Amino acid sequence: MKIAMIGWEYPPFKAGGLATHCHGITHSLAGKGVKVDFYMPKTKQRSYSDNPNLRIIEVGESDIFPYDRPDTKELAGLFYDAVYRYNDIVVAKVQENIKKYGNYNVIHCHDWLTMRAGVSLKEKTGLPLIITVHSTEYDRAGWLYPNQWFIDLERYGMEKADKIIAVSHFTKRVIVEKYGINPDKIEVVHNAVYPIPEGQKQEIVLFLGRLTIQKGAEFFLKAAQKVKEHEPDARFVVAGAGDMLPRLIDQAIHLGISDRVIFTGRLTEEEVKHIYSISSVYVMPSVSEPFGITALEAISAGTPTIVSKTAGVAETFKNCLKVDFWDTDEMANKIISLLKYDPLRNTIAQEGKHEINLFTWDRVAKQTIDVYNGVI
Amino acid sequence: MTSICIYFEVHQPTRLNRFSVFNVGKNNDPLSTYFNHELNYWIFEKVAKKCYIPTNKILLNLINEFDGNFRISFSLTGTFVEYCERYMPSLLDSFKDLFATGAVDFIEETYFHSLSSLFDDLDEFEEQVIMHNKMIKRIFNYKPRVFRNTEAIFDNRIAKKISELGYKGILTEGTEKILDWRSPNFIYKPVNTDIKVLLRNYTLSDDVGFRFSARGWPGYPLTADKYAYWLASSEGDLINLFIDYETFGEHQWIETGIFDFLDHLPREVMKHHHLDFVTVSEAVERYEPVGEIDVPWAISWADADRDVSTWLGNNMQIACFNEIKEIGKTIKQKKDRNLLYIWRLLQTSDHLYYLSTKGMEDGDVHAYFSPYSGPYEGFINYMNILQDLKQRI
Repeated sequence: MKIAMIGWEYPPFKAGGLATHCHGITHSLAGKGVKVDFYMPKTKQRSYSDNPNLRIIEVGESDIFPYDRPDTKELAGLFYDAVYRYNDIVVAKVQENIKKYGNYNVIHCHDWLTMRAGVSLKEKTGLPLIITVHSTEYDRAGWLYPNQWFIDLERYGMEKADKIIAVSHFTKRVIVEKYGINPDKIEVVHNAVYPIPEGQKQEIVLFLGRLTIQKGAEFFLKAAQKVKEHEPDARFVVAGAGDMLPRLIDQAIHLGISDRVIFTGRLTEEEVKHIYSISSVYVMPSVSEPFGITALEAISAGTPTIVSKTAGVAETFKNCLKVDFWDTDEMANKIISLLKYDPLRNTIAQEGKHEINLFTWDRVAKQTIDVYNGVI
Repeated sequence: MTSICIYFEVHQPTRLNRFSVFNVGKNNDPLSTYFNHELNYWIFEKVAKKCYIPTNKILLNLINEFDGNFRISFSLTGTFVEYCERYMPSLLDSFKDLFATGAVDFIEETYFHSLSSLFDDLDEFEEQVIMHNKMIKRIFNYKPRVFRNTEAIFDNRIAKKISELGYKGILTEGTEKILDWRSPNFIYKPVNTDIKVLLRNYTLSDDVGFRFSARGWPGYPLTADKYAYWLASSEGDLINLFIDYETFGEHQWIETGIFDFLDHLPREVMKHHHLDFVTVSEAVERYEPVGEIDVPWAISWADADRDVSTWLGNNMQIACFNEIKEIGKTIKQKKDRNLLYIWRLLQTSDHLYYLSTKGMEDGDVHAYFSPYSGPYEGFINYMNILQDLKQRI
């Protein structure tokens, strides 16, 4: 089986869960004897593969991230052009490789950035098209002001695809209800994690994610203020970058907790692992979260985790705590309880690490191959 | 002759309110802030309508129909009886009607369905047994002769205590852990004291309690004549069928045919002339021990493990249990009846049952009964309440 997989980000070039997912799934597919050509934009740091079944093919160049928005980027007018250009170059490159090395069995795309290329290749080659939906425009906009251009592009890809892989039942419902797609065309494959080693724990409560509406850092800060009254020694770390950073810093000052909160900015992969490993509580208060791989990363590092009730991970993972993202009283109650009650922290950490063993990329690859076999 | 000894456990816990760390130390009336009276009433009324009322009626008819030859035993917990007295005295009356037939026996247990038998000393346990004894005396003017501990928790120490308190028999689980190759269909005695031990035949009991409506089970569908045939082909003096009363209409819904099954069972059993029905008291009068059992570590009828890991299987459960024990030391000196009562309501084993983190099938059973979304939420809630109680004393 030979797959042309079209992505956008891949470690070490990384902005979010999409890169983590693509890394995990391509390696596990290759490990199972599936030949994968992974197409992505050229980046400053070269990505590489150590498996002969997996080739990383970098084409063109782009400054666009999967989470960028046309209105927040300096390249404003160039945004759409840049997306189209990458898609066109990928199409040409895939066709060139088919001529040189023979045909693929499946075209597999990830999220809106690569939809056009996927559909175009399906039409030109007649190959079946699979798309994985990691998030929709509704998620990224926190359900507030979704951008119609993204929605149209996403719907276009979803309609043309032979099968859609959703990262959760939550996302499957969005695809059915907001995009009008036939549910029979959608398979749910939950994400996985490469476990992170546990470190020496400190009294740190961690938020880690893009500082955007979607990820709900403001609710984390509100809860932090309530925790501070009970647990004056607790420290709060807000790790990540994003357009909400200045507002969040202001908010921390207004809440009177700026002495307890550290804003780290964007962290390197090593720094991310370190902060997971030494934290005592991880909070993922996302307003909308199709899956939430970061929760699995934190849990794998032995860090008890509180997630939004609606997050995709919450529908499949038992050993974590669940809250409504807006219910900061309950969020604080759970944070304090985790800090205060050792038996709770130890049990949930231990049971969580146990359960995490079920969330392997090997399982994701197996389920993905089943989807491939259904369309070949 | 082989006797069939049917016994039903009737229990409802006093479920807790949502109680966050921010509530700790901020309430004046613990009784109304700790316990969720609305939820408790709602569940009690629901189960009464689906199970208690219709099943009592069927049993009364059956006893009358067979002139008292159909005989059964009940254990009513103190918390259950309080619900009846508060919300539905007519339900308690229907138990009185059953008792008046002379074909019904009552079993002693701890008033609060608690784990006090696992405390370091057995004073509190004894007090709760006496409380239950007084309650049965008050309502039915009867003194039970047979004891069954919370979820059949049993070890040598408990057996000895119960023997010293004057009981003639005690019930527990007929698990291979204590029997090895031996049959549960006989009476045994503990190595360290003289009391008759009735052992639950868990296969035949669970055929009704758990598997009745399981379509994947080879015994499905279970009819009264088939089941009576199984009973008739079992060897031994005594087949003990100990079943949650809520099996009828609540765990097994009316649509499964569980009431029809019950309705037909006595007739089908009596077709086999070597079978008859006995109450627990009659069982211990009629049969003698055939051997000894030695139980240094507590067993129970709960979960697949058949031990106390259902309530004390993880660190959260052990921490709460220890906290309850610690609070007791102070509370007993305070002589505050209200706080003592609250402390005891918090001892009901269900509060720890909800905190179990067991996986697989047992986990599903735990989740079915739990008022929380999971064991961790349950721990936070229960532990916060214990912290509040601790501050109060």
